[in-house]
Amino acid sequence: MTATILYQEKVTAVPRAAMTGEDLWLTLADLAVATEWEMKPEGICRGELCVPMPEERAHSLVRGQGADTWFNLTEFARHIEQGYAHDAAHGVWCFGDPAWEWKSRLATRMAPDFTLADLQGDRFSLAQFRGKKVLLALWASW
Amino acid sequence: MITVACESKGAAGAEEWIRKANSQYPSLIDERHQVAELYGTRNVPALFWIDEAGRMVRANDPVYVTRRNRETGETTVNERYLNAVRDWVAKGPQSIYVQDDKAVKDHLNPPTSEDAQAMAFFRLGVYLYQQGHAKDAVAHFKQAHQLKPQNWNYKRQAWNLGNIEQDYGTTFQQAQQDPASLPFYPRLDLPEPSPS
Repeated sequence: MTATILYQEKVTAVPRAAMTGEDLWLTLADLAVATEWEMKPEGICRGELCVPMPEERAHSLVRGQGADTWFNLTEFARHIEQGYAHDAAHGVWCFGDPAWEWKSRLATRMAPDFTLADLQGDRFSLAQFRGKKVLLALWASW
Repeated sequence: MITVACESKGAAGAEEWIRKANSQYPSLIDERHQVAELYGTRNVPALFWIDEAGRMVRANDPVYVTRRNRETGETTVNERYLNAVRDWVAKGPQSIYVQDDKAVKDHLNPPTSEDAQAMAFFRLGVYLYQQGHAKDAVAHFKQAHQLKPQNWNYKRQAWNLGNIEQDYGTTFQQAQQDPASLPFYPRLDLPEPSPS
């Protein structure tokens, strides 16, 4: 079945996804493309960050061998306390931020950085205004 | 000044207002409500003062500095708040309007696992809406609302993308009566100007 995976900023259509019950399984190759997570000796890694393989969950996280190895992305999400949501009708899965990203938010007074575009498509980051006072206004037309 | 439109309709939703403001400062568009998530805000407006070192010195003020009436085109200015901002610009950390560590903390909502899960539902809803499946987005928005009833951004944005009565079986007034959804706005603790 095809699954459309929203993983932080990335949207990927994965034609060869599988489900068991409510869980989503991807091949390791698809996992890397859709989420940038890879299995390494150190554990499950994304760039510099590695999550050690939780031995007690290993059998529910990984199945198969070699080229036919499948990874349970939803079980992993639960392990890293990452919220996720699924729309069955459209085969869309949306994954949120893992624990280490949201748990430390707003623990200090440092204003979180962000980058967004204006109407012209020009991108701005809060960080580029360091050295100036900033009045940040969140608003909506609704 | 930096404005961030928490607007899942993107440029289409925010454009009219941004053009009318005709400002010199960056007016940014935030379809996924990333900034609201990062700053833990639950409603708009939400204003933050950030000093030269990148620290929040006032957090989550539920005010518009200027407000434009859609029908009349008239702009009203919140003079008291604007004077507070001017005071800060002039005096920096000496301004009476600057909040200390405890006050900033009191005005922030550090995220919980419910927030993290609610955001996944909300983002899924926004994606489905943007793909042309507005009706299918409703179920996911409802999940976000149930998880975080105090998050008025999720409610008001979702209602704006659909029909509040038909899709959500409620009205704004009814929704405001739910005790689990309160407060609608955080407190604005603005000191009285010192007599001078």
